[in-house]
Amino acid sequence: MSEVATVATGWGLTFVVIVTYSLWVVSRGRSIGRELGIGEAQPSGLEQESDLSPDT
Amino acid sequence: MAERTDDSKMTATPLTRVLGILGIAAVVFMVVLGLFISPPDVVQGEAVRMLYLHVPSIWIAYGSFVLTSVSSLLFLVRSRRREDGGRHYDRVAGSAAEVGVVFTGLTLITGMLWGKVTWGTYWQWDARLTTTVLLFVTYLGYLALRRLPADPIVRGRRAAVMALISFVNVPIVHYSVDWWRTLHQKASLSVGRRPEITGEMYWTLLYSALTVTIVGAWLIIHRYRVIRLEELRDEENLKMLISSRRHERSADSAADGEVS
Amino acid sequence: MDLTPRHEIEETGDVRRVIHRRRRWAILVIAVLLIVALGFVTAQGLRNATLFFRNVDEAIDQRVELGSSRFRIQGRVIPSSVRGEAGVTTFQIVHECAVAAVRHTGDPPELFKSPWIPVVLEGRWVEGESKTVAGADSHYFRSDRMLVKHTNEYASANEGRVSEKPPLGFLDDCLFEVPVDSS
Repeated sequence: MSEVATVATGWGLTFVVIVTYSLWVVSRGRSIGRELGIGEAQPSGLEQESDLSPDT
Repeated sequence: MAERTDDSKMTATPLTRVLGILGIAAVVFMVVLGLFISPPDVVQGEAVRMLYLHVPSIWIAYGSFVLTSVSSLLFLVRSRRREDGGRHYDRVAGSAAEVGVVFTGLTLITGMLWGKVTWGTYWQWDARLTTTVLLFVTYLGYLALRRLPADPIVRGRRAAVMALISFVNVPIVHYSVDWWRTLHQKASLSVGRRPEITGEMYWTLLYSALTVTIVGAWLIIHRYRVIRLEELRDEENLKMLISSRRHERSADSAADGEVS
Repeated sequence: MDLTPRHEIEETGDVRRVIHRRRRWAILVIAVLLIVALGFVTAQGLRNATLFFRNVDEAIDQRVELGSSRFRIQGRVIPSSVRGEAGVTTFQIVHECAVAAVRHTGDPPELFKSPWIPVVLEGRWVEGESKTVAGADSHYFRSDRMLVKHTNEYASANEGRVSEKPPLGFLDDCLFEVPVDSS
């Protein structure tokens, strides 16, 4: 593989891994949230444990 | 998206939304800086651009594992004193470890590709590469241990002990290039040593590290909230199962009563 | 309600078992695989990692003990010594003023062209007259695997060419002169 192809593969793969993992985390959060019912059980944030407004 | 409902923001807060937008913007500029503005290397040519992914990835992995260790220690020390049994610390440890594993994996992937064009091989069992793959496998084991069914506090304690044991390898990985002879080069930047890297590349590297930190922080926060949701769901399920069992039992005893 | 608290505790355990029975097997399999992987990696590491290569000066000192055994040797390539024909490349590598002649079979990696690049070669000592910049030698190193050991120095390609001179101070105390590139 040429230098440019290697760099493209490396950056591409990294991008794919990060995006896939992010989407997995977010979609898992959404599906469990839906299972539990909205507003019923808001997750407490790392940075603000008391933040329980429906929009969070 | 017109049909966005509240649940689409399940793990988001204003802070993480700002962090997320900041992260995306930072990544865009990182691509421009890393792939186009920064110069090719005098020896390595274009291949040097792997530096901006490979090195920040392992830094963030180290950082995540530090966070896992500190939280695990706090869990062990404070779990009895906290109302939630210290499960907050357990969640921080778990989410940081998972993100750390993702970035260790990325370090290995980018390193192998980089190795192929510079060293002429994807893999060699030298001290740095061997200890890094060991790091990856031990934290995978840690994540597996977290999934073993047990009482949350017991499981948390087991995981915390394993996290502290696993962390021993982090300094070994970092110093392996100094302690043993390796094919891998020495650390790119280290305290008390003049960086042997030209200005533009140096700043691109630091900027990339900052960007990857934002992305990593965003991921850890979201993963934390998902763990919290998983726990809530497990509790819900347990309650439901118990109550359905109760119904069955009372139905059974009613039926028994009719027969006798 | 006839459920005593004691009964309820039993019930909880029961339910937990129902939930987790299936997961337990999967996790056990994963755990075994991880332990096997860990053992393999540790064994590989112990075998190879501690002495990944010998520097040229050490490889020359240990020539008798090494005999015809296979090992890795590390040194910087002297640019003016490189000759190549029909899949065989000959050159000299130097470390701590010790020089070894090398006969390498196979395609060298791309970065081999870079002057004074450190390389790690896999192969063995072979008896045979050879001439190096440091004088005559009774052995040369026959290699069939070359890895380029690039350094942690980075410099912009826009700012200058690779220096043909040896790295600063690298050959300062040596008793021989290295000829300038013959090409």
